[in-house]
Amino acid sequence: MISIKNLHFSYKKKKVFTGLSLQLSAGHIYGLLGKNGTGKSTLLRSLAGLLFPDKGSVEVLGHRPGKREPAFLNDVFMVGEEFYFPNVPISFLIKHQAPFYPQFNEEQFNKYIREFEIPADSTLQNMSYGQKKKVLISFGLATNVSLLLLDEPTNGLDIMSKSQFRKVMAGALDEKKCIVISTHQVKDLENLIDRITIIDEGTILFDQDMERIANKLSFRISYDQAEIKESFYHEGSLKGTAIVTENMEGEESKVDLELLYKAIVTNGQKVQSVFNA
Amino acid sequence: MNQVFNFNRCLLLIAKHWSENRKKYLLGMLAITGIILAWFGFYIVMERYRPMDPGVQYGTYYVGLFIVGCLYASTLFADLSSKSKGTNYLSVPASQLEKTLCTLLYGVVIFFIFYTLLFYFADIIMVKVGNTVAYSYWETNHSPAAVFEPQKVVNVFWTDSRPGQGEFNFLFYLLLCYFAVQSAYLLGSVYFSRFSFIKTTVGLLFIWLLLIVFVGKILNTFMPDGSFYESMASYRLNVGSDISEKIIRLPEWVNTGSLFLLKYAFAPIFWIATYFRVKEKEI
Repeated sequence: MISIKNLHFSYKKKKVFTGLSLQLSAGHIYGLLGKNGTGKSTLLRSLAGLLFPDKGSVEVLGHRPGKREPAFLNDVFMVGEEFYFPNVPISFLIKHQAPFYPQFNEEQFNKYIREFEIPADSTLQNMSYGQKKKVLISFGLATNVSLLLLDEPTNGLDIMSKSQFRKVMAGALDEKKCIVISTHQVKDLENLIDRITIIDEGTILFDQDMERIANKLSFRISYDQAEIKESFYHEGSLKGTAIVTENMEGEESKVDLELLYKAIVTNGQKVQSVFNA
Repeated sequence: MNQVFNFNRCLLLIAKHWSENRKKYLLGMLAITGIILAWFGFYIVMERYRPMDPGVQYGTYYVGLFIVGCLYASTLFADLSSKSKGTNYLSVPASQLEKTLCTLLYGVVIFFIFYTLLFYFADIIMVKVGNTVAYSYWETNHSPAAVFEPQKVVNVFWTDSRPGQGEFNFLFYLLLCYFAVQSAYLLGSVYFSRFSFIKTTVGLLFIWLLLIVFVGKILNTFMPDGSFYESMASYRLNVGSDISEKIIRLPEWVNTGSLFLLKYAFAPIFWIATYFRVKEKEI
């Protein structure tokens, strides 16, 4: 579905990607993690056809995104971190924006709006940032596009909305869709994503299925000083020391995304060696 | 489905643009009408003897058309300077041709029609008001032999600028000039993310200045002593000390072709440049 080969991109003198390659397929929710300024949003904007590669190729659903052809644009939807809504009621959005998306389902949209507890007769400009974001997410999901790109979707959402978001997203995936979520709020993606991709310094630092991570790594509390010392990453908590270590027992471990992220950023090569073995 | 142009998609885009901007447009129409009425009202108060004479009506129409038309054009692609609005604009599933055509429809065609209708709405009212005011002034101040001549609503698209020397409609050229200048502001709205109107104005003045320097200082040094004669395709040479004349004529199609390009090419060239500039826009 998405094929990125040797992607180079820079903003004037600042290099963002220097040879990034990545394959994403339908039927998955991908979590794109990374520090601020590592290129997560740039990657999503390149996939949406808003930025053009300096070198290399980006192919999405058989299209070159930069051409911005209608057949591509009506099968991709991006929920940006910064977004704009005209000053119209929600009904206008359905009447004038939805017809551009052939798979748009109004019933589905209304269902999401209800789940997010948005009053259907509100004018978009009178809504809070979080409410607008929920409308945009609902609209994006209801378009039923093959590729949904979400850039920091939980920013600005309150605690209840974040769990509503996880619930809505979990029910939205099918085998024909691909959802890519970029965020640095890793906790919000727990139990939602099935593959994690970590970008750093313009390259892919880590890219694995959640199932494989759960098999290969162990996330637990430890009191054993030797084990703590040997772990890929450890940090103190009220219960003891939380560690990330190799899963020797073969039992599936519940992945703690925050710990995983920290382990990869601080000790990436060692973590990666477990997966290469 | 055609990826370059689809009529239904274009209609959807036109309806979407209207739904998102109708409040702004309706307020803009009210403002234009109000400003024209206020200006004519002011002029009638100041000039009670001959208010609303043709010069004032022509002047108001064209000055207003240039200012409002260019101001409006310089906002048409302003969305592209904002990350959020630009993303919204570029992500709409329509081709760039359809998006450009929709912008041209509103910015050039519909604006021109509505501006003209609003001008006439205000003009017809104010010509009547002006004549009433002028007549009451004339009644108390005229000489015994004087006859009151009421002002008429002018045709803003036609005037005989050289009476008795063959028909010449200067307003037609003024209108062509307007479309060319407005299209430059449209292109400017894509290039300049902030203060597009001011920057385009400065840019146009700079280009104008360069042209004058080029023709006056550079081109003239390459040309032999003499001047253009009758048309752009014939040049009158001053030969020898007795200043006898020699005329060099290029084929007539050179003159016809150059005139055609000067009259009709500027606006379409700027529109096409706008299309390509938006097509390659990154946000």
